[in-house]
Amino acid sequence: MKTDYDVIVIGAGNGGLAAAVTAAKLNHKVLLVERHNLPGGAATSFTRGRFEFEPSLHELAGYGPQDNPGNIRQFFDWAGIDVQFHAVPDAYRMINTGKDKLDIRMPTGIQNFMTTLIQAVPGSQASVQAFFKIAIENAQVFAQLSAHPEALDPATLATQHPLFAKYGHQPYQRVLQALDMPAKAQEILLAYWCYIGIPSDEFEFAYFASMLVSYVTYSAYIPQNRSHEISSALVQALQANGGTAWFNTEVTQLLTAEGAVVGVQIGDRKLYAHEVIADLLPDTVYSHLLPAEMVPTTELKKANARELGTSGFLVYLGLNRSATELGIHDYSTFIARDWDTRHQFAGMHQLHGNDFMIMNCLNVANPTCSPAGTSILYATQLFFGDSWDQVRPQDYPHLKTQLARDVITRYEQATGVHIQDSIEEIEVATPVTFARYLRAPEGDIYGYYGQPWDQMVARSLTAAQEDEPLPHLHFCGGAGHMLDGYSSAYASGQFAARQASHNLQKEVL
Amino acid sequence: MAQDTLEQLLIDRQRHIAAGATTPLPTQYPVNQLAAALHPETQYLKITKVVTHDATARSFYLAPDPTKGTQHLAYFQAGQYLSVRITIDGSVVTRPYAIRSAPQSALNDEYILTIKRVPQGFVTPYIFNHWRVGTTVTASAPMGTLTINPLRDQSHIVAIAGGSGITPFYAMASAILDGTEDADLTILYGSRDHHHILLGDELNAISTQTDRVHLVNVLSDEDYPGYETGFITADVIRRHLPAGPVSVFICGPDALYQFAQKELTAFNLPAGRIRHELSGNYGDPRQAPDYPDSPANASVQTFRLTVSVRGQTQTIPARADESVLTAMERAGIHAPSACRSGECGVCRARVVSGQLFVPNQDDHRRLADKTYGYVHTCLAFPLSDCELDVPVHALANQFG
Ligand SMILES: Cc1cc2nc3c(=O)[nH]c(=O)nc-3n(C[C@H](O)[C@H](O)[C@H](O)COP(=O)(O)OP(=O)(O)OC[C@H]3O[C@@H](n4cnc5c(N)ncnc54)[C@H](O)[C@@H]3O)c2cc1C
Ligand code: FES
Repeated sequence: MKTDYDVIVIGAGNGGLAAAVTAAKLNHKVLLVERHNLPGGAATSFTRGRFEFEPSLHELAGYGPQDNPGNIRQFFDWAGIDVQFHAVPDAYRMINTGKDKLDIRMPTGIQNFMTTLIQAVPGSQASVQAFFKIAIENAQVFAQLSAHPEALDPATLATQHPLFAKYGHQPYQRVLQALDMPAKAQEILLAYWCYIGIPSDEFEFAYFASMLVSYVTYSAYIPQNRSHEISSALVQALQANGGTAWFNTEVTQLLTAEGAVVGVQIGDRKLYAHEVIADLLPDTVYSHLLPAEMVPTTELKKANARELGTSGFLVYLGLNRSATELGIHDYSTFIARDWDTRHQFAGMHQLHGNDFMIMNCLNVANPTCSPAGTSILYATQLFFGDSWDQVRPQDYPHLKTQLARDVITRYEQATGVHIQDSIEEIEVATPVTFARYLRAPEGDIYGYYGQPWDQMVARSLTAAQEDEPLPHLHFCGGAGHMLDGYSSAYASGQFAARQASHNLQKEVL
Repeated sequence: MAQDTLEQLLIDRQRHIAAGATTPLPTQYPVNQLAAALHPETQYLKITKVVTHDATARSFYLAPDPTKGTQHLAYFQAGQYLSVRITIDGSVVTRPYAIRSAPQSALNDEYILTIKRVPQGFVTPYIFNHWRVGTTVTASAPMGTLTINPLRDQSHIVAIAGGSGITPFYAMASAILDGTEDADLTILYGSRDHHHILLGDELNAISTQTDRVHLVNVLSDEDYPGYETGFITADVIRRHLPAGPVSVFICGPDALYQFAQKELTAFNLPAGRIRHELSGNYGDPRQAPDYPDSPANASVQTFRLTVSVRGQTQTIPARADESVLTAMERAGIHAPSACRSGECGVCRARVVSGQLFVPNQDDHRRLADKTYGYVHTCLAFPLSDCELDVPVHALANQFG
């Protein structure tokens, strides 16, 4: 059959960009199709007045310093991505404004982090040390699973990585309890749960612990010019390797022949390819891009058995005072009335009373991100899209203001920093905003929720086997084997491209 | 033991998947429906009424055109505009027009646009000649950021308007009157003489119904009792400045903005308290302070612009004093655009080769776009032969 391309990638989110660049670097003829006029999906930016805001990236994991590069830095180097990154100086500040009052700043570097934790919680030394021993081994396996999920299986894991096999799939909180860790120390180790959005009594230890170890050991990174810079660099890398990117272009259907995917429909044109990689939720592909009878029953069942992930509510602030003038010294501040993650999770289903938030100040990690004498702050809350189901168009502007005011006030009360008088620019993003720009159902930004059977360990160990639900169709993105996140999406894109490339090589032979 | 746990997990996964329902997946989601209602890709509209204000100004009343697929109009915030898309002699062009009616009217499926005829214009004369009751109009969703934000703006807004720049403030005044917006508004409104005050009577009517809207007419060419005479100077502003903090919103031609901005320096407002929107195309780039030196009286050069849209390439002429967006429109290329003043980014395109001038003062590009070679075509003027890679205009028109 005549084909126009070796690989067509649908969607230029982080997953799609990584897939397209990887396939092009592997010498395949690639077309990347994106319906928006910008690359990146969530990884973009927008300007208001003299500010350019980061819409989504808080912390890039898996990048690491030059002398100890993580998977993502290695991928960027391989792809020829030349973007300046800043290491985030501290791990986080965590505030509990409820009855168990807490306000603590956690540094980066495992030793510093442990020392701070042990000092803050007398009697925690043994459990904290035990925790990091297991966590570090888990993090190593995690990195392998991320890059090469096809290379590991239960038997190998059990013999080579006993600590992973034993603890990896257990709920994080249960492991902390088994280590007899004092409650307060457990609480301090909970900050990052929101990055994946699974409460700690259900969140796999391997993932949570690896995320913590990764941020604490390698630091988190952010790019100089917001994540739009990374996405632009990836598009450039694609083009430099002979690939093509089309924007403002929507794929409306997958083309099939004899049960296999053979191309995509764009407007009235059909484009044929050997392999198609979709940076979309499988739900979207099965409900919108394929006729129902083409969807394999197992895939339909799987899609129905899965749950959508969370969406977000963000308030972006351009302030006409510098961070120093305002007295802001923390990059990430996690604030909640209590640190029961189940309770925080329940709040994500309701419009009012969701009291967990993160506030980031970009200038702390990236001092020149805004003009001298100004600063950029943004607050993040997680909301399941369905909490916004009843909102009517005419309520929407007012609701945004009301919730934003709430978040700002809560931050001021928790930190004593006053920002309301300095707001030069403000923008608010809601599940509706994400539904508009990313197109995901209910404004989902985290792919599928990680039910215990649908978390990193299970997804990774079945990634190769569950790839190609229809011949020549691959998925990538935040719904991939590493769940949501920039580095996860990049990893899943590389994996999908290698799977596609593998098929293409078979065809040549 | 541990291996068993992992194997058990994989069995569990199979079991959960096998137990999944076989009911069809949803195709609609409420949050996505709300997004589509607020931000439709295209709104198909139909003119239901035309009101002539004078020889140079008309109001067009628009309703949804369900035959083309628009059932209801998108809600908006007072101050937002529509980008209207028109085909004139083979050129597909857009123009931004503020929605002059109150947001409430959108809930009753009505928008009003009030348009002033620009004598030498390309689009407004066409509109005046062709738009009648029954004419269908294609427009974007409401867009733009000249809206009141209670968290950012002071509760008293001083609006400085000239000509058709009054339209967003008319919508704000209406929204204050009906309670949609909670703010006080003082409008300093520049016109030539008292015969030529666009929407003057209507604005008066609003300000008599609520003491939250104050109207100050400033006439440049006439002394008229009760009105200010001259330009909207610092003195005029000071005379009508309310007590307490204010935010100033400016809308009108670029000349008005430049003038008002200078006059406002006297008030030392903190950054963010002066907001503005250009109404219409950027003027002659050669007037920009940072335009590269060219010999005085040099005639306007015309360059060769090679445009590739999804792999299809053509070469067209592009004048140095017109944006490359205009050059593409003249040549009949369906290039994307909306605000036409550099701000919205809809017209973003990649420069493959060549030099273009982007006036620094209005350059709203993303930082990385500057380094990776992207321009907003509405605010990019050729300085040499150029090659651009441009996305298609609209999703609705794919290969259409
Ligand atoms: C507010 C927020 C904060 C976050 N914070 C972090 C963080 O700190 N660290 C971190 O690592 N991760 C973070 N994430 C998560 C991370 O951004 C996502 O997990 C990741 O970007 C997902 O990438 P994706 O490949 O799934 O693509 P998406 O971003 O979902 O992009 C999908 C793309 O496909 C396009 N598309 C859809 N339908 C079609 C079609 N039919 N035809 C063509 N194109 C189509 C869309 O326009 C979009 O560009 C955050 C996300 C958000 C929104
Ligand atoms: S059309 Fe808005 S920036 Fe060019």
